[in-house]
Amino acid sequence: MTEIRLANVTKTYAGGQTAVDAVDLTIHDGEFFVLLGPSGCGKSTTLRMIAGLEPISSGDLFIGERRMNEVDPKDRDLAFVFQNYALFPHLTVKGNLTFGMKLRGVPGPEQERRLAEVTVMLGLAPYLDRKPGQLSGGQRQRVALGRALLRDPVAFLLDEPLSNLDAKLRAQMRTELVKLHRRVGRTIIHVTHDQIEAMTMADRICIMHDGKVAQVGAPMEVYRNPADTFVATFTGSPPMNLVQGRLENGAVHFAEATLPLDARTGAGEVTVGFRPEDLSLAALPNRLPIQASVVAVETLGADAILVASLAGGQEIGMRVAADTQLEPGSPVSVHLDPNRLRLFDRQTGKAIARMA
Amino acid sequence: MICVGAATFAAAAPTLRAGPPAVDGQPSPQPEDKLFMTAAIAQRDRWFGFAMTLPGLFALVLVVLFPILFTLWTSTSDFTLLKPSNDAFVGLSHYTQAFATPEFRHALSVTLAFVVAVVILEFLVGFAVALALDKVEHGKAVYYLILLFPLLMNPIVVGLIWKMFLHPTLGIVNYVLSLVGIPPVDWLGVPDNAFWTVVAVDIWHQVSFMIVLLLAGLASLPKEPYEAARLEGAGTIRCFFWITLPLMRPVIVVTLLIRLIFAVKTYDIIYIMTRGGPGQATELVSYYIYRRAFVGLDVSQASAMAVILLLAVLALTAWLHRYMRSLAQ
Amino acid sequence: MKKFLLASSMLIASAFGAEAQTINILMESVPDTRYVQEMLPEFKEKTGIDVQLEVVNYAEMHTKLVPQLVAPEGSYDVVIVDFYWVGEFTKAGWLQPLDERIKADNFPVDNYIPSIMELTGRVDGTTLMLPFYNYAMGLTYRKDLLEDLKHQEAFKAKYGRELKVPTEWPEYLDQVKYFSEDAGIEGFKGVVNQGQRPDPISMEWSNYLFANGGRYYDPETWQPTLATPEGIAALTQYRDNIQKYGPIGAANFSFDDAFNVAAQGKAYSYLTFNMFRPVYDDPASSQVVGKMEIAPVPGGGLNGSWGWAIPKSSPDPDAAWEFIKFIESPEIAKKRALLGGAATQKQIYEDPELIEKYSYYPQLGELLAYAQNFPVFTYTPAFVDVLGRELSLAVTDGKDPKEALEQVDKEFAELLRKDGKLQ
Repeated sequence: MTEIRLANVTKTYAGGQTAVDAVDLTIHDGEFFVLLGPSGCGKSTTLRMIAGLEPISSGDLFIGERRMNEVDPKDRDLAFVFQNYALFPHLTVKGNLTFGMKLRGVPGPEQERRLAEVTVMLGLAPYLDRKPGQLSGGQRQRVALGRALLRDPVAFLLDEPLSNLDAKLRAQMRTELVKLHRRVGRTIIHVTHDQIEAMTMADRICIMHDGKVAQVGAPMEVYRNPADTFVATFTGSPPMNLVQGRLENGAVHFAEATLPLDARTGAGEVTVGFRPEDLSLAALPNRLPIQASVVAVETLGADAILVASLAGGQEIGMRVAADTQLEPGSPVSVHLDPNRLRLFDRQTGKAIARMA
Repeated sequence: MICVGAATFAAAAPTLRAGPPAVDGQPSPQPEDKLFMTAAIAQRDRWFGFAMTLPGLFALVLVVLFPILFTLWTSTSDFTLLKPSNDAFVGLSHYTQAFATPEFRHALSVTLAFVVAVVILEFLVGFAVALALDKVEHGKAVYYLILLFPLLMNPIVVGLIWKMFLHPTLGIVNYVLSLVGIPPVDWLGVPDNAFWTVVAVDIWHQVSFMIVLLLAGLASLPKEPYEAARLEGAGTIRCFFWITLPLMRPVIVVTLLIRLIFAVKTYDIIYIMTRGGPGQATELVSYYIYRRAFVGLDVSQASAMAVILLLAVLALTAWLHRYMRSLAQ
Repeated sequence: MKKFLLASSMLIASAFGAEAQTINILMESVPDTRYVQEMLPEFKEKTGIDVQLEVVNYAEMHTKLVPQLVAPEGSYDVVIVDFYWVGEFTKAGWLQPLDERIKADNFPVDNYIPSIMELTGRVDGTTLMLPFYNYAMGLTYRKDLLEDLKHQEAFKAKYGRELKVPTEWPEYLDQVKYFSEDAGIEGFKGVVNQGQRPDPISMEWSNYLFANGGRYYDPETWQPTLATPEGIAALTQYRDNIQKYGPIGAANFSFDDAFNVAAQGKAYSYLTFNMFRPVYDDPASSQVVGKMEIAPVPGGGLNGSWGWAIPKSSPDPDAAWEFIKFIESPEIAKKRALLGGAATQKQIYEDPELIEKYSYYPQLGELLAYAQNFPVFTYTPAFVDVLGRELSLAVTDGKDPKEALEQVDKEFAELLRKDGKLQ
């Protein structure tokens, strides 16, 4: 049972700027945990602090029961995979893979056994004698993973490992990583700025923003119930529609539509959020009709995105069938699933609990 | 600027050699007509590029190729300062004469010893200093300035200063030694001492060149392999031998090569400090060839010796270059 | 100094404009050039001719001169020629004979000290140059120690002869030994030598050769004669003086290294160019003001001089001759000597006014009268290179003096044959 726990962890640089601000996190044993956020949000720094590549300015890091702040990186029993793989360019694939084992004095036959195991698992056998310069991006990625696997650590730390790959390969590697995780059963902490990676692979996602944790939760939880407008827009493609509205008399008013709320008191300016797939052109039962005018239809192949303009000029996106034909400028009636509607405080951006 | 450029070139070399990293799958096929059009444009661009480089090429031929060809021509005729013309062809007799001259052979061997000593010692000292400086975070500019100072000095001045410092009875070096009870050293008056003194002065003068080049190389090394090695538990010494040294190999080879070529041409400090003496202890070949031409008036003979030297340096350069390329693969 | 000269010559050039007749001379940056510079206004007044001096270091002179001498019309009207180059310049035929001009103007060439006229004046019976200044070598020694009664007694007791200005070579060698080993002065040496290749050692050793009665070659046949008992004795004595009786490092001393040791009062004697004699009396660069004197080297020291010449490529030979005639006239020669110039004419050293100013002038006159010449032929510089190498090998590298001198003779003969001097 090896849990990784960050308690009030902060990273402040010599210049005074704070990269990570009082982060509390608990990563469960065997979990595929994704740190998601835009660049500069502090997710990589958090990962590097866990690995021991960056000193922690304040707060505590525990792996299991042990406080790790001052423990040398090599004694933390973690494996790190770098964004640009950090392979040793002068060594062959085999040399790169066995580098750590040699350093730790693993006996020769044992080295060979484990090397064979990992090369088979990752399909690296044909490339053992090549140097990194002669490999493709995906192959280098696999070597970097192999190097981590050979450590047999309590957790794998992956720093944007897929960001240097092209889109097709990235999708393929996502699947491979998930399979790998299932096979080895160890904790993976995966840093990415790509919400699709996070959604597809994670057991739990931690979304970071400006050095702080914005929300931690299972992918669908984060998707359905974003904790604030930042999470709402950072997840989903296209992102959640945010429309200005008003809370009054137990109902929310927006875009000339009114939706009564079940048990809601209070009044004020709110932001109304709903995802593109929560709207339909068809007037399904219990749906709230909203009048809009067509701006454009963007065909994606499997489906299309209808961009429509609400009363008051705010634009929203809506997922529609691929063969939808609508003239720009023509009026259209869209139907919202009221259960999927989310409310955020206009001032703070925080979610307002809708159901009592 | 030159130093940094050279280092960058060196650092880039392996990548250049390896070609762009292959992307998984095939390169996206280009439509035929587009390919044809591109080819036509490329052809036109090539001609335009060629035309644009012509003046530069011409200048290069004029300043580099012409003197070399003239030297070659001169080395096969009998040009002397008394009869400054190339009208008599004497074949390769100056070349056989060169190898039959004991002094020339001696000068070659002294030069070889000097170059090896200077390059190796400067490299060791330079690399040690560069490694130390690479870790420095504050005041790097100050260190650079101090280090570059000798390099900016005219070699004549360097020779004069050190000759003054090393004067056995009136110089400051022996005075300082006398303060700690060391008897005066005859730095330049004994053949063996003189050789090593000249080597030491050259190191003092030129070691910064190594430092600057190697430092630029170190600064351009990627950080991640070190972090990866640190996570694996590699210490400073392991990191140096397992990562720094192999990664720096191309930079090191270029640095050694450039320094070696310059060391072969060492002339000024010998002229100022020893004139090749005492005996023949510091008889470097560049100074010998110079005297052959302007003291002995025998320009053709000197040209033949210069060509021999050029070929030797060229062969060495080619070998080192090939070695460097083989490393990059 | 160089800048000052250039600036002033440019000033002169601009002041008189383009119409004025101007001659150009390439000169070396030495004191005698300065004394010439000071005579130029008088020359301008007399003749209306401007003189532009281009002043460079010795090392640059030869490379600057040759292209101008080879050209049909060069840029120098007058050149100065080191005795080193006389062989090369005359062999190449770059200089104009001066005999007709001398005869026409009745110029007093007989004033010149014969050995100097032979060195940088007449070549094979034709006058190609007029001597400019001399740099013959003399023996500089510590007069105060020589006159010290304590040393006089101790020296006589040990060597059985008087301690006085040496007139015989063995007498001088005894003095060197005495002051190194017996005089009991801490850190003091009997002699400081200039053992650096190639010129310092070759020039200095020539004195040892002449003092032992040796000579470079047989004047009849040009056959080299260095590997003779006299030559071997000279080289053995020279090696001993450096290795046994001199300060450490003398084997690589140049002129100034050695001079500084003497001027700092750390050696009894130093064989050097006579023009350094006044420097001993300059408190700025000497600790032995009033204590050093110069004497002829026993057996006749080495001669050295520069000469004025008109190159065949001279744009204005007549004006050039006007200048040489003026600058070498007895009157101007005396004026230059009064400023400190190293004169080449006999009567200067007998002039009461000059003797009044320079007490050592009689000795200097004598020194010049007996000075002997270095071999002058086309390959003199190459020969100096060979000689310097072998001498240095014998002094520092354990090469047998006889072997070293045989090697010199061999290569000397090759150079002489190449020059057509030796059959």
